[in-house]
This record gives sequence, C-alpha cells and structure tokens, in this order.
Amino acid sequence: MEQIMAEILDYLKENSFIDKETILSSRDSLTQKGIIDSIGLLELIDHICESYSIEIPEDMLTPENFDSLQGITDLILKLKK
Amino acid sequence: MGIEIAYENLFMGQAFAYEDLLMKVDSYIKSHSRKTPQRIALEEGKKSISYSCLEEDINAIAFSLIDFKHCRFGILSESSIHYIKALMAIYRSENIAVPLPIEFPKFSLERILDTADINNMIATETQYLRFGKNFFERFGTVLILSNDILVKVLHRKVKAERNNPYLRLVLYTSGTTGFPKGVMLSDRNLIANAESIIDVIGINSNDKAALVIPPHHAFGNSIIDSHLIAGGAIKIGSMNFVDSVFGLVESGVTIFYGVPSTYRILLRYPERFRKAFCNVRLAASAGGGMDALALKHLHELNPRMGILPMYGQTEATARLAYLPQEDVFRFPDTIGKAIPGVVLDVFGEDNSPVGSNSPGELVARGENIMLGYLGDEAASQKKVIDGWMHTGDLAQRLPNGYFRLLGRKDELLKIGDHRINPREIEKLIENNNEVSRVFVVPVFHELLGNAISLMVIPVDGTRQDTLLAFCRKNLPGYVYPVEILFIEDLPLTENGKISNLSILEEYRNAKSSM
Repeated sequence: MEQIMAEILDYLKENSFIDKETILSSRDSLTQKGIIDSIGLLELIDHICESYSIEIPEDMLTPENFDSLQGITDLILKLKK
Repeated sequence: MGIEIAYENLFMGQAFAYEDLLMKVDSYIKSHSRKTPQRIALEEGKKSISYSCLEEDINAIAFSLIDFKHCRFGILSESSIHYIKALMAIYRSENIAVPLPIEFPKFSLERILDTADINNMIATETQYLRFGKNFFERFGTVLILSNDILVKVLHRKVKAERNNPYLRLVLYTSGTTGFPKGVMLSDRNLIANAESIIDVIGINSNDKAALVIPPHHAFGNSIIDSHLIAGGAIKIGSMNFVDSVFGLVESGVTIFYGVPSTYRILLRYPERFRKAFCNVRLAASAGGGMDALALKHLHELNPRMGILPMYGQTEATARLAYLPQEDVFRFPDTIGKAIPGVVLDVFGEDNSPVGSNSPGELVARGENIMLGYLGDEAASQKKVIDGWMHTGDLAQRLPNGYFRLLGRKDELLKIGDHRINPREIEKLIENNNEVSRVFVVPVFHELLGNAISLMVIPVDGTRQDTLLAFCRKNLPGYVYPVEILFIEDLPLTENGKISNLSILEEYRNAKSSM
C-alpha cells in the first residue's frame, strides 16, 4: 500500500502542478490544494490504468476515490483484486 | 430584514447619484427576490438557495462594505455559491470586483495583486486556509466567507481609490507568465452582453444552467450573469470529477456550457453521457472551435439536444458571435454571425473594411466592448480603435454573412480555453535558467487541443530536470511542457524573425532526425 502511494506521489511530482514546498498528507484534497485539475486527473487515470493493468469504470471517478492519495491508493488496491 | 432596511437607507443618497448608471446585474436579483422569492437561484452539491435568501445574503455582505466608495475588491474563491454572493455584494455596494484566477501559479497572482494594486480582499475560508494567514497580511481589508458565519471581517481599513467611474468588474485574461491584463468592464457591458446571450440561447426562468467552468473567466461570468438576469437557476460544480459532472447534469440541467476540452473529456464516456444528457435541451460551447467529430458525437448521443458554438473574447465581456443551431453541421468551420447588439467586420491593414471573402482582421463594436485594460492605456488604445475592438483573429466574411477564422494575427496559442503568448514563456524560461535559447512548440493534445513542447539550445549547465522543475513552479499546469528537446542550433534564428510556423517547421525537422 505504501509503495503504491509513493508511486502516485512520484507521478504527481513529475507531472502535476505541485510546489516543492508543498507538504502533502495522504488525506489532503488534490483539487483544493491546486495540485491537479480535470485534465491532469484524466492523465493520472490513464497512467494508473496502464501501470496497474486495471480498468476504472466512470462511476468510480468521484472525489472519494480521486481527490486524495489515500483515496487513489484504496481504489487501486480494490480494483487490483 | 433589519439589515436590508438599514442598508437601503444608507444607500438612498448614493442610489440617486448613480441613477445615470442604470441597472446592475444584482438589481435583477433584487427584482426576482420580490417576484419569485421561493424560486431556486443557485445550487451546489446538496445545497441550494432561493432568490430571497440570496438577496438577503448579498445585502448582509454588502453591509460590511458600505464605508467603501467605488473601491477594488479582490475575490479569492473556488467556484461556489460564496463566489457569486461575494461578486454580487461588491456590485450591490457600488464597489469594483476583481476575481482572481485561482488556478494561476502564485507568481502570476502576485503580479496581478501588484499591478491591480488590490487593497481589499474577500476570500472563502477554503482559500484562506490554502494561501495561509501571512498571504493576507498585505491587504488593508480582509473578509472571509464561510458556511458557519456568512461573513467575518478579519481586518478593515478604508482607503480612497481613483477608478474609472463606470468600472464594475475586472477580468484577467492571458498573462500566464506574469504579464496579466485586466479587462475593465462596466455595468452596461455586463448587461448588454448578458441580454444578447439570453436572446441567442433563449434562456428563461425555467432553465437550469450547468456551471462547471471557472466563474472568474469571461465565459463562466457570462453564464452567471445571463441566468441570474433571466431569473433561472445555476447548478455550480467543477470539471474535476467526471462522475460528479454527470451527476450534476442529471439533477435537471437544461443548458450545459463547456469549452471544447470539457466536451472532449465527457465524450470519453459515451454511454454515461447519453444517459446523463438525455434531458439537456442545449449544449453551448465557447473558448475555441469545436471539432467536427465532437459535434457529430454530441448529436448522435442526444439528437434532440441543440448544439450552439459561440465565439468571443474577454475584451468583449464574453460573446461576439454564434453559429445558429440549424447551421452547425452546414457551416462547422465558421463562427457564424454576430450576436444581437454587436457588429462584426473584417478590416485590412488600413483599418477599413475589406469586403466579402478577403482576409483581414476581425473587428467588433457594440455595448459589450470593454472600457479598456486596467492601468494600461497604451494597450487599450491599440485594442480599441475608433470604437472598433481588434480581436487579433484573422478572418474572412463569407458570402452568406458568416465569418471564418483563419488564424491569429499575433502569435498567441490556444491551450485548452487559455490564450498564451509563447514568446513570453520563452523569455521567462530563458531569463531564469541556464540556457542559450528556448522555443515553445505547439503540439497536439488529445484533450486540450494543443499542448506545448520546448526546444532548447543548451549551454554547459543546462539540465532537463531543472527546466521541468522551473516550469512546474512558474507556469500553470496546462503549459507544462510534454517534452523538452535539446537542439544544437535553429538556423531560422539567423534572420531574427521567430514565428510559430517557423518553429513548428524546425521541430518537425528535429523530430525526424532523431
């Protein structure tokens, strides 16, 4: 689980609008902190589907699943099963 | 009620003084609150607010602003009911709203705050927590809006300001790299454009609009104005989570508004789209041309839904032209015709009309044309000449009177619904990094239409990761480069003339030789 979260964080650091000073906790809102927008989110979704070989149905594209590192990690773990 | 009476008494004197300024957008809310007090004005998630409650809250916030006389107020707010309350309270108290584009990097925001000389700020609690206490120290006056207490005054210092007497709203456009331009709009601008839009779309009080694009840009602002003036409802959300957007549309939205990338994102989920949009009567777009494939797709998924592509600029408050629904598939490569109240024409180099079919610059006049740019008289005079606003878009008038766009006169690029100046971005990167030259290349992007790549002529200390880190910190997300190519030289720089076209040509060469 920690490995997945670290991997997502690395992706965000590489590909999103995240400040070096930004301290991100696992429950922080990615959209409210201005780290990711709608386009960035779709790119993240594509990245997740590819790296973890999963498919994410559109009814799962919700704030609960995608607005925090914890939510994203939980979703990946759930869908990988 | 007590507040409203006190407020109206206090403003009686001023109301007379401003009589010649006619109606303001918030006056319509007052009128609807009397005629249809129970009707829902705004919805956000599970929250909703009627016209009478909205009117009450606007007065309560405006009450905190009564000592200010025509002063500029920054708004730092996510898209929300709070945002609209703050905006209307500033209008109600005869002050000037300066909504800040919160998606811009802090660097650009600071530039706006400096150039616009903002002394007063209204922020939501969410933004207050995001930017932190220290950020707000600089303002003489800070008001915080939250769900618990409608308005909390953190500090307050009234400072007299000199402003254009007709100024009501400043909207920021382009300026992603630190040269933001504040478009100054009057009450007349806002109402004239909203009335034209109501006319073209046929908005009425039974309509519910979807506001999923940012409210602090011209398009979002025009949705707010036109639907509140028409006495209808607005459902506020964001484009962040696709399922939430579809859920929002399913809550009874009749008119959906989006930029082309909004539709591209939603059309990735056709079955969900078909279900969610089955009761939407109109899908309107602005902020860039819709591609033929997306138009076809929209029509297939709901054949009863009208499709209305519109064209405009912030300097024209929002809209200038629209493509009538019946002609969407006949003339998809045009922007259609002028909205009511606007005259469009095509001018040659000598600033006179060139006639049908000849290319030239698209110009516009009407009551929606801005007062000017805030604090930039020179740029204002170049933009509006003898009452004609020069759009910077090259166009031709077709024999049927419709206009076709042919490209930009300047070198601006459209990324999503944002206009960026590639030369500014190049300069910003060159001046702050160890590089010889930087060239911005427009490349295809599935969702944004365009994205940028960088071609860089390196020096000894040039490092790709340092450049990327710099871009991440100093540019908005949509300008973050998809790739950086190191090149040895760019032969075309020898004549000193750089254009998007020549850079693109060079980029193709560089790619093919890799």
